[in-house]
Amino acid sequence: MKAADLLGRSQRLSDPAWPALVNIFEPSGECGLELQALGRLGRRRKRLRSLRGGARQERTLWLRCLGTLLRSVAEGRARGMFNRVEEFIRDVRELASEDELAEAIGAVITDLGFRYFALAHHVDVRRSSSAIRIHNYPAGWAEWFDEQDLGAIDPVHRASNLTSVGFAWSKLPDMLALTPKDRRVLDLARREGIGDGFTVPAHVPGEAHGSCSFACPAGERICAEHLPLLQLVGAYAFEAARRMQRMRLAPGPVQLTDRQRECVMWAARGKSDWEIAKVLGVSEATVGEHLRHAYERYGVGKRTLVAVHALFDGTIGFLDVLRR
Amino acid sequence: MMMIENGRSALPCDRTLRAMFEDRKSVFVDLLKWDVPVLDGRFELDQFDNEAATYIIIADEAGDHLGSARLLPTGRPHILGTLFPDLCASPPPGGPDVMEITRFCLSRRQRAAARQQTRNDLVSALVWYALDAGIRTYTGVAEVGWLQQILAFGWDCRPLGAPVRYDCGTVGALAIEITGETPSLLAGNGIWRPVCDPATLVPQAA
Repeated sequence: MKAADLLGRSQRLSDPAWPALVNIFEPSGECGLELQALGRLGRRRKRLRSLRGGARQERTLWLRCLGTLLRSVAEGRARGMFNRVEEFIRDVRELASEDELAEAIGAVITDLGFRYFALAHHVDVRRSSSAIRIHNYPAGWAEWFDEQDLGAIDPVHRASNLTSVGFAWSKLPDMLALTPKDRRVLDLARREGIGDGFTVPAHVPGEAHGSCSFACPAGERICAEHLPLLQLVGAYAFEAARRMQRMRLAPGPVQLTDRQRECVMWAARGKSDWEIAKVLGVSEATVGEHLRHAYERYGVGKRTLVAVHALFDGTIGFLDVLRR
Repeated sequence: MMMIENGRSALPCDRTLRAMFEDRKSVFVDLLKWDVPVLDGRFELDQFDNEAATYIIIADEAGDHLGSARLLPTGRPHILGTLFPDLCASPPPGGPDVMEITRFCLSRRQRAAARQQTRNDLVSALVWYALDAGIRTYTGVAEVGWLQQILAFGWDCRPLGAPVRYDCGTVGALAIEITGETPSLLAGNGIWRPVCDPATLVPQAA
């Protein structure tokens, strides 16, 4: 049954919810009004249910009509929002600069009920020249964040390294053991006007972990119905940023030879040069040579650090190291 | 080496195929905890492993399975059309030039680096097969956690609808357009590999 038929039918009924229905279909274009109308409808629906006796047939018909209407309004809104996200996905493919990308992300998330976004690689400052970071957070917050060197230890970034699916910030305490400093970071963000948020992890094997976070102004609640779409916005936004970064940077990521990688993997498992030499069937000096070259490529001087870097950028996998 | 098998001959008797169905059990049942049928406690096979399925397989020199994907024609029951129709905002793409990629599987016996190489071989083989067989669109259902990696291949991949959360995880439907440009898009991301050099292709008797 079409919405128009429903309206025609309902008009003949002496219906208490009629004004709310009119509100829904008035082309006001304002999501807020629609929502208010839906809320009123929901309340009246409850009242209709409590009617007794006489108007029973009328009431049953009404409830059915309202159910269909509510569903069709909800589906229509969902489809409309998906179309909006599809448009964003088509548009970002053509964009060439990070500024244009930031503008496009800002516009689409506003339509989805969010205000702030931050798209970032979770890396330390030393390697940050190659890292992605695009955001529209309040200026004071970004500065403070950098001063504190939070890129790699921000609780949201850490939590996002633990999962591949988007999560609401309200779930952080379930995901991590938050330290006093973490709580301070979250409190300060709130004080800067950043409220509830949702983070989409961005993991590409062989590259540094990253994420795309979206937040509401402090005091506003996140709009749960749009979270699946944010998942798409985050992934496509991150891929667009990645494409731009690749064009900006000539040299690729650090690359180790197969032998160097094997030595680093065994070193990460806690083996000494002598032990690695036995496993690989080469001399201890050769192992030392491979590891030294790996240190040089990462610009570090300790085996712990080379292992951490290789794990971080995906040159070796955690499962390789933890496997027995 | 790349192998193409069709479902008519694909009974778990051949060594590579047996290993493929075993690896599928190890990945989808043991690791990812999917609720799918297991044959004989060892092989993961479902109702779509029938004569209409095509398997693209990457194997080592000895013929052992390293990675594979199952292609289903969209003119018959397939996963998106049959099991997940709500994932598409409009009717899912279908027709003789549209196939669905299912059971994309990388053997767990490989280390991270080797697995990544097999992944690149398999993605390249899928593109090569599409170009050769006149397939213009691949569709597929994927857990959103894989989306970033799928996009990072650099090919033309778009969502068919908003992802939906089920008990098993949040999944979404994707369409990938394959054109003559696709190999160079993959090459730009370091994915494309010449798996399809006629010398390395093992033709299978029907």
